[in-house]
Amino acid sequence: MASLSSDEWRAICDKFTNAQNLTDVESRNDPENDPFRSKYKARELLREIYCSLKSFEAGEGDEDGGAESSEQRTAEPPVDGQREDGFGEGFSGDSPAGLRAAKLGAVEYYLGVNHVDTEELSAGEEHLMNCMKQLARCRVTSENVSLFIHVRNQLGILWAGRDETETAQGFLETAESIYQRYMKEDGSPPTDMTEYFTSEEKLPTHQERTKRFELAYTHTMYYLAQVYKNLGETERAATYCHTTLQRQLQLNQFSPMEWALNAATLSQYYITKGRYMEGRHCLSAATVISGLAGEVPSEAVAQESETESDRREQLRQKRAEIARCWIKYCLNLLQDSKKLLEDNIGELDTDRQEELKRARRQEEEDEEKGRKSALLFGSEDTFDSIASLEEKVCCLFPLDFTEARGVFLVGQNYVKQAKEYFQMDGYVTDHIEILQDHSALFRGLAFFEEDLERRCKMHKRRVDMLEPICNDLNAQYYLLIRRQLMFELAEIYNEMMDLKLTLANRQADTQSLDNHTIKKFNSLCSASAKYFQMFLDSLCSPEGKVPEHLEEEVLRPALVARFRVARLHSRLISPLPSAQLDNLNKSLENYKYVAEYCESHPEAAAAVETELELSKEMVGLLPLKINRLKAKMATNN
Amino acid sequence: MKAKASDMHSKDCVKVAVRVRPFNKRERDAGSRCIVSMVSNSITIQDPRDSQNRRLFCFDYAYWSHSGFVRDRRGLFVPEEPGGRYADQDSVFQDLGEGILENALQGYNATLLAYGQTGSGKSYSMVGYGPNKGLVPKLCERLFEDIRENQETRQCQVFFSMLEIYNEQVVDLLSRVSRTPGGLRVREEQQRGFYVESLRTVPCESASQVAQLMEQGTRTRTTAATHMNANSSRSHMLIILQLKQIFSKESITKQSNINLVDLAGSERQRSSGSEADRLKEGTAINLSLTTLGNVISSLADAAVGRKVVHIPYRDSVLTKLLQSALGGNSRTVMIATLSPADICYEESLSTLRYAERAKRIQNRAVVNESPTERLVKELKAENARLLQRLSRLGQEGRRANDETSKTFK
Repeated sequence: MASLSSDEWRAICDKFTNAQNLTDVESRNDPENDPFRSKYKARELLREIYCSLKSFEAGEGDEDGGAESSEQRTAEPPVDGQREDGFGEGFSGDSPAGLRAAKLGAVEYYLGVNHVDTEELSAGEEHLMNCMKQLARCRVTSENVSLFIHVRNQLGILWAGRDETETAQGFLETAESIYQRYMKEDGSPPTDMTEYFTSEEKLPTHQERTKRFELAYTHTMYYLAQVYKNLGETERAATYCHTTLQRQLQLNQFSPMEWALNAATLSQYYITKGRYMEGRHCLSAATVISGLAGEVPSEAVAQESETESDRREQLRQKRAEIARCWIKYCLNLLQDSKKLLEDNIGELDTDRQEELKRARRQEEEDEEKGRKSALLFGSEDTFDSIASLEEKVCCLFPLDFTEARGVFLVGQNYVKQAKEYFQMDGYVTDHIEILQDHSALFRGLAFFEEDLERRCKMHKRRVDMLEPICNDLNAQYYLLIRRQLMFELAEIYNEMMDLKLTLANRQADTQSLDNHTIKKFNSLCSASAKYFQMFLDSLCSPEGKVPEHLEEEVLRPALVARFRVARLHSRLISPLPSAQLDNLNKSLENYKYVAEYCESHPEAAAAVETELELSKEMVGLLPLKINRLKAKMATNN
Repeated sequence: MKAKASDMHSKDCVKVAVRVRPFNKRERDAGSRCIVSMVSNSITIQDPRDSQNRRLFCFDYAYWSHSGFVRDRRGLFVPEEPGGRYADQDSVFQDLGEGILENALQGYNATLLAYGQTGSGKSYSMVGYGPNKGLVPKLCERLFEDIRENQETRQCQVFFSMLEIYNEQVVDLLSRVSRTPGGLRVREEQQRGFYVESLRTVPCESASQVAQLMEQGTRTRTTAATHMNANSSRSHMLIILQLKQIFSKESITKQSNINLVDLAGSERQRSSGSEADRLKEGTAINLSLTTLGNVISSLADAAVGRKVVHIPYRDSVLTKLLQSALGGNSRTVMIATLSPADICYEESLSTLRYAERAKRIQNRAVVNESPTERLVKELKAENARLLQRLSRLGQEGRRANDETSKTFK
């Protein structure tokens, strides 16, 4: 640097500061018709810096000769992913030659980013690759490691934008391994690239250096997450998102609410994969970190100021969103456990239950091990609160009523929280979805309830929360939601009907039912049929015509509804032969529909295989039963 | 030439039409080459730098409005010869406009979405120029005509409102008062569905009045855009025509909305979370960590199978306002407009890809039915019982017959 006077050096530093300012600040105010004005100005300055560096420092030793030969050595532009760059031979980062290469590389880097920003990708690539060439002459040291990472991040972005995801992956994965090796072998706070052009008095602190360097690597993680996502490797992508979140927290580079919501969303990914331990961890962290955003301003305070009212809205909404993610956790855990434990008719399989309970101990040990190897969130002060929140709900499948109830209660509590924000008035769709989840939580719990009377009451609770809404909603705007509600209500009434019958049979010990039970049974049976019929009617045209062709998404529900209506009509209990006949005819009509529809639409048969087989049988058998009844009626008359 | 997809079932999802316009002056002066060709309802686009690289797309309708037309005495652009392949404004209206009108008159919601880069002929298709009226004015004319013709059987009211969605904020384009900071609120009620709170709605009695209001709204939009230092091509514009029909004899009221949407189409804009962005193809990397949420959501989204989870902030304001239009009995049509010129290759290709994805937009509300195993088991048992009884009966019957025949021997 002997040939560069301090004034000249200061001029370079000023130009650099200017260029940075133009790029980061001024450019935001560029007019629509000249959107890159400031960036072009910055480019000029960078070019001048480059020329100064080249001319002043040329001939200062043997680097140029060295550069020639090294350029021959790397005549093929280095493609990452093939070898581990930077830790082999070359100038040491802190040698004069190494520093000179790093500085020239940094200017190339900034020129590259500048060209990419102005949508001149090829020129941008060239500059970035020039930076790579400069670096290829050096070993990785604390003086240049930051540039090693940054330039690869940028090349990753560039190639991903060109749809060359694998090339992008190569650059980013090398950045990852350079970081890891550097941290293992050196780990001292590295020089930030801006320092190359900063006068002594403005140099950043160690802390600041570390922060910037770590942030660059956090970006590497984040970009890799996206690259893996685009390559279809969702599991890896999720791990990298997880790491990104973890690093944001560790390095204290996050905004609490945004972070919390992201963690809550990530939990939903884990839930779909059945990874409840990770899901719970994300959710607990989300709840704890969202708490860092502070108290919700009271309504009174919110009315005073717009900022406070905004803050109130934001906090309440995001916390309600997190609560909804918790609801899904509890719900899916209950449902998955039910799937494990149910026998072929959907009842609790006690043998299976015993077996799973025996296997539990092993699982608990595994859970402990899993926790140790998992990527855990938390800083010193949040770690314990996250852990204690995790203890409030299990992440293993509940195996009996007590355990199921624990999960249910946690879920129900979040239902309450979520509903406080997502009220019916203002948030109809959200509110109903929460109610549907609440109903599903009850359904999950009812499976574990052995007392049939109490089980029946749980189903009644479901009816009470869904029925009024189904009837009040505007049929045009909420057609699809209403269809869901109708179907669910039909199923609940059916379930209650079965329970009543089982109960009555248990008590009476005989086949004969008393009048009260028959009345109850019939009313539940009719209610179920009514809602299935409502569902079917909702599929009709405005003129009430039954559709000739059922859309794919309603095909199975529609045929199953027919099948079940048929069944329900044949179960209605009536002493009057004429009413019996009526019911049987209605039943036959619906079985016939299923059989005939599948005959004229052969592609539908696969969706309702068993139901179709039985419907066909019934179409054969029911007329015989009807004829017998008719004959009996004729004899009796 | 217009072409219809032959065997489409009347599916609920979006029907998509693509239309290609003639060269404009700039393209002609630049000696542009046409890189788009159509056969029936399929469209091929060719990479100007690599003639081997062709992409084929199929849509519900493909309109060739690039060549083969003349201007007749009334100033209308019509096919050179009868039955020619040129698709004029009338034929576009017949395919896309009629259905929307019909649906609205039946009392169902209908939506027309327009997508295309600035200068691709989107306004020509939607609004038209001079005597060559576009979809919206034709629709309004026909609507008021129908109202007049059926005055005896029903009373009608039409309300007009017009709004803009920019950065997820709703701006009333007809409002006379200054805009609310943060935009208008979108709310939802059991009887009304999603709606914009305190949005101005203007009762209308004629097509010309609607045209006037549209002009007014468009002016507000342009000035607002300049004010915000924003390009209007980055915002969605939504016109809502509310139709209320009162049939006094039958004492029923039918209410329906016609939504006319101009979708944001600037390809350079990145991730504002708008509907248009969501449908854009994404292999590009988001640079800022502020978009981490989107990446995680899309992971969770992709993993959703049989499990139902909650993904926060999935719905944009536009999606909400069009919720009832994207499912059930409503009808949704999209028209995507293209420049034929080689210099617009990238933009046109991306429009076609967008349109292709739009075919699949749908309101997802699946009915989750429980397994029917128990029912099946019961029924099988019952059938077996029934069969047994019948066979016993059959034997008894035969025996009875035998006895009878014995007696009468």
